[in-house]
Amino acid sequence: MDTSMWLALVSIAIGTYLLRLLPYLWMKRSLAKRQTEDGVGSMPTWLTILGPTMIAAMFGTSLVPTQSDTVSWLATGVGILVTFGVWKRTRSMGLPILCGVVAFGVIMLWF
Amino acid sequence: MSTTTQTLSGTPWKQGVKDAIPLLGGYIPVAISFGLISVQSGFSVVETILISTFIYAGASQFLFVAMAASGAPLWLVVIMTLLINARHVVYGPNLSPYLNQDKKWLPLMHGLTDQIFALAHARLPQLPEQARIGWYTGAAVLAWFSWIAGTALGAIAGGELTQRWPLINDILPFALPALFFVLIVPRCNNRLWSLTIILSAVTAVILKMLGYPNAAIPLAAMSGAVLFYALKNQRIVGG
Repeated sequence: MDTSMWLALVSIAIGTYLLRLLPYLWMKRSLAKRQTEDGVGSMPTWLTILGPTMIAAMFGTSLVPTQSDTVSWLATGVGILVTFGVWKRTRSMGLPILCGVVAFGVIMLWF
Repeated sequence: MSTTTQTLSGTPWKQGVKDAIPLLGGYIPVAISFGLISVQSGFSVVETILISTFIYAGASQFLFVAMAASGAPLWLVVIMTLLINARHVVYGPNLSPYLNQDKKWLPLMHGLTDQIFALAHARLPQLPEQARIGWYTGAAVLAWFSWIAGTALGAIAGGELTQRWPLINDILPFALPALFFVLIVPRCNNRLWSLTIILSAVTAVILKMLGYPNAAIPLAAMSGAVLFYALKNQRIVGG
């Protein structure tokens, strides 16, 4: 990795950390100023909407298989259905993902 | 939101570790997949591990190595990865009512990923105030170490794994959409949010298939937000 790439890496690392830290500090100060116990309601509405839609968009982009053929799409569909089915039962994160990956893999290997 | 305070059976950090164990099922496969892809994109093992240690944000790391490998301008790489991570701005403010003035919270914000946020948002209100920092440290550190270890495994053994089982390279990355799915599906608890989430995801699929993978995420997210406001206003106007 050359110097410019290291610079990019450091910039992203610091930028990501600040994206996590600064809004927390801002809200903390805001809460202290207002002397309230629950500041969730005072968050800008667009922030609360954009967070989930960003994750939904990332889900969408990651859903497109590298090789866009019928088998990959079938495996993707089955994998998501299995993930959803296990999530409905367990309401957890780890097991649904594991089962989804296994189901996806089984379809890919099967065909 | 439940504010019932629970008593802990062990020390707070042990409870945090215990609560975060289910996250490993999502973290490790994605981290292995990242390690593999990063090395295949031309980054060394050490560089790959450092990326996971310091950036520590799954989707943006994939984007970083993909864009860097394709020779995209580095300023664009930085902007795009930070744009993806911009969603993190909503996490700290949502947790801040449950965090005290301890300065240790400042470095701990590095561990505030999507999954840790989701977990902390559910668990912190249930814990006594003095136990929260210990709990969060246990959960966040376990998740961080598992991400680094998974990356190292993928980067070091990825080549051999791929040679022995070529399909592992095609199968493991599915952990990424499964992870995002599990994160977003609890949000679909009413018609307004379900339509918003579906539109965002479908728009992202279409844009990526049309050949705009980098613009897909912010554009799809904004289209979802526009729909949310449109439906909400319609509801208000329509009574």
